[in-house]
Amino acid sequence: MIPEITELSLPALICGIVALYSCIRIVLEKNTLRKLPFLNVLTFSVTGIIVLICPTPLGTAAACAYFIGSTLESNAIASTWAKRAEKDKKDAADGTEAGIADGEAAQ
Amino acid sequence: MNGILLVILAAAILIGTCGAAISRNPFDKLIYLSMIFAGALPFIIEKGYLDMAIAAAVIVPVTTIITLQAVWRCRE
Amino acid sequence: MLTEITQIIIAFAVSFIIYATIDVLAGLPREGGVCGARAIGEAVEESGGDLHGGYMLGNIVCSPDASAGTLLAACGVYLFGLTGGLIAAVFVYIGNRICSDKGYAGTAGAIVATFVIWGLANAGIIAPQSFIAGMVLAILVIQGISHKYASILLGKLWRLRA
Repeated sequence: MIPEITELSLPALICGIVALYSCIRIVLEKNTLRKLPFLNVLTFSVTGIIVLICPTPLGTAAACAYFIGSTLESNAIASTWAKRAEKDKKDAADGTEAGIADGEAAQ
Repeated sequence: MNGILLVILAAAILIGTCGAAISRNPFDKLIYLSMIFAGALPFIIEKGYLDMAIAAAVIVPVTTIITLQAVWRCRE
Repeated sequence: MLTEITQIIIAFAVSFIIYATIDVLAGLPREGGVCGARAIGEAVEESGGDLHGGYMLGNIVCSPDASAGTLLAACGVYLFGLTGGLIAAVFVYIGNRICSDKGYAGTAGAIVATFVIWGLANAGIIAPQSFIAGMVLAILVIQGISHKYASILLGKLWRLRA
């Protein structure tokens, strides 16, 4: 069944097109950390869509809750990645430079 | 809901699902999961279940943070 | 009232100026506020961009900034007028505290954007829902087109201030 195409306001159309564009860019980007800014663009446009299709007080509260929750999620993903990379680097340094560290400790 | 927005949001959900199924990196899987939720939330809003939408918007990030503690140990 | 496309283009320029000015004045490009923002900045520098611009991109991703304040203030003004914008500023402050940030940039951005949007809407020049679309386009220009050139542009703005 073909969905009925009714009249769409221009701001909602712009938000939808930006959402689709950012989805495609997320798939095409290889680096995990550089995917996160595109996810942020998707969050912005979905917040706009929510407010434009449901202009009520509780709708704004839902948009704010979604925005803050999504930002928290991105923050957690990025900081976990950074901590893991740091730990990997430290482990590698411990493995290869154990002799040097022992020498420093002996002095 | 308007037809164009419906097609765009459904495309976001489908792309996110395929990406989460195909990708190897666990962090990428979490990013695609977040994309699925971004596509699904306007459908909940549009039916008028606003309290459910607020609850889901709080529960999903907390679930992701708990899942990250498991991903921390996962070496691919 | 102007036509809708003209309104959106003017709203794009106004919101871009608001959040770029407040973010650079608040010193966001100086360093990554949390360790995730620092990692994103280094990843952007790896792809050929500028380090300070990359830090600013990471800070925008990792905590609600003046950009988030502008968007939520536009949503609030669209529904409730002046009080809605101030309620959105409170939401942005709560979000900043959750993400372990100090929260000056986000709250100041939300309050400034509330007064600007409310003034322009009351004067009958730009409708508030045009500001929602304009802010989405402004964040697309910074974060969505090319990280390399966006970070170089932000680094130039930062050196202009410093």
